[in-house]
Amino acid sequence: MPEEYPFRISRHIQFKSSSLIIAWNRDSSTLGARVIDFLNKKLGGQEICEMELSRFFSFGGVAVEDNVIQFPECKLYACEKNNLLIFKSDTPQYEWYKFLNSIIDAAEHCAKVEEIYTIGGMVGLTAHTRSRELFAVFNSLEMKKRLGSYHLGKDMDYQTPSGQRPTLSSFLLWVAQKRGILGVNLWVPIPFYLVAVEDAKAQKIVLEFFDRRFNLGIDYKCLDDKIGEQNEKIARARIRSPEIDGSINKLEDNLHLSEEENVKLIKEIEEVFKRD
Amino acid sequence: MGIKLYKELRLEKPDLIVGWPGIGNIGIIAIDTLRGMLEAEDFGEIEPWDFFYPHGVSIKADLLEELEFPSNKFYFKRVGKKDLIIFIGEEQPSETGAGYAAGEKAYRLANLVLDVGEKFGCQRVYTSGAAVASIHHTMKPRVWAVPNREELIDEIKGYENTILMGEGTISGLNGLLLGVARERGLEGICVMGEIPIYVAHFPVSYPKASKSVLEVLTRILGISIDLSQLDDYVRKIEEQIEGVYRQVPPEVRDHLEKLKDESYATPSERRSIPERDEKEFMERIGKLFEDIDQSLKKEDGKSA
Repeated sequence: MPEEYPFRISRHIQFKSSSLIIAWNRDSSTLGARVIDFLNKKLGGQEICEMELSRFFSFGGVAVEDNVIQFPECKLYACEKNNLLIFKSDTPQYEWYKFLNSIIDAAEHCAKVEEIYTIGGMVGLTAHTRSRELFAVFNSLEMKKRLGSYHLGKDMDYQTPSGQRPTLSSFLLWVAQKRGILGVNLWVPIPFYLVAVEDAKAQKIVLEFFDRRFNLGIDYKCLDDKIGEQNEKIARARIRSPEIDGSINKLEDNLHLSEEENVKLIKEIEEVFKRD
Repeated sequence: MGIKLYKELRLEKPDLIVGWPGIGNIGIIAIDTLRGMLEAEDFGEIEPWDFFYPHGVSIKADLLEELEFPSNKFYFKRVGKKDLIIFIGEEQPSETGAGYAAGEKAYRLANLVLDVGEKFGCQRVYTSGAAVASIHHTMKPRVWAVPNREELIDEIKGYENTILMGEGTISGLNGLLLGVARERGLEGICVMGEIPIYVAHFPVSYPKASKSVLEVLTRILGISIDLSQLDDYVRKIEEQIEGVYRQVPPEVRDHLEKLKDESYATPSERRSIPERDEKEFMERIGKLFEDIDQSLKKEDGKSA
């Protein structure tokens, strides 16, 4: 392997062609990472490659979260039966362009990458009782047409607001476009008070999409159980606290909450999930 | 890889003049004003994606239309018999999270800028930036100059309103570019406009110093342009600084007023505030300015 490739292949496999699914660890509600973990478990994903972390992370120290040391991971998995490649990663601290190209280079050691999918959560102002929607941003008209039957298109226009930066997924979509690879960013709005915890319902809508797209035959029982548990936890909290109930009622009626109500709801739901 | 030129040019020993953002945006305002006034034409760019994170995305009907990166453009202009190449970079590449350039990418970018200069026969390079100084904001900023070789010192001594920097550090690409230029045998001079130390922490541009830089640069280059265009901008910023200055406690203001009497031959000779206390004192004042500015902005917001 040429020395300039900043990754190490631990297992050589070869597909004819493949789709590559990518998710980042620190996503809203850790949506992408949860979906990837689910897919890897259900489809028997095997780790085949790892990025050289020192090329993309400073290692000036390590973060500690919830009393545990955190360390970046950037790994590529192969699901051989389904011809799928999956990349799960922390977002690099620098050398983004090289990093994004290296993901594709690593994947192309195993197969010609036909399509790239990224998964991301975004903050939504809806109630958790509403159904989740899947949004998409395509890097070509061809990809938009290919996925036409999945009803992802919402004809969305967007411009990065001043002072903000595009997501790494947008950057990746552009890199894929530059390399002539079809790509799509999949986005699910997460009710804002679930952003810091899990949103199993959002995970399910993404998994349903991949299930249909790649005929994965996923059994959703454990995910449905999780959705049920999550709903129950919040329902119990609504009974316990008229304030939580009032705020969620407002959201269900499409009313806006005050900043103070927002903050309170986020904090209380976080506590509910920590406690139960 | 890295450089894209749109036009074939025949230039004669052009000078290369470079501007990047930095403290008070002094360098980039000066060079961009020069570019605008000379109506210099763009002829090339450095491909930015390997150096910078994009700063905007444009999506239309679910389709990714464009990813916008900080621009790094080359312009040219013939003024009389003099050819000029102007390079303006919207951002300095940083691998360390610092506001100014550092590391391998900065070195690579500096080399790419000089590659273009040398391709067209450039022999001299100017960079411009800020000199954080113990001066009062009502004073006319001087220009500190640093050459990349000893033979240029006498020339600099002849510049008006300019002093040699003596000792110190030039952070980011303004210094690095001239170091790399020296390595390549090119002459280089960095001209830095003075910004009061208490304003350097202030989140505003300081066009007054850009004007001083331009006065010096245009004289060196033998160009005549009307710099009064900058005056409105200078006045607006002065009013903003004055607004904050009036809120500074009287005992601190008394101290700062003494800076008006400063008169020194080199940047290392200044004594109205004891040297050992100066850095700490000025940093405290800088913070005070920031706090006052924030609270004034909040009040403005309330009354709006």
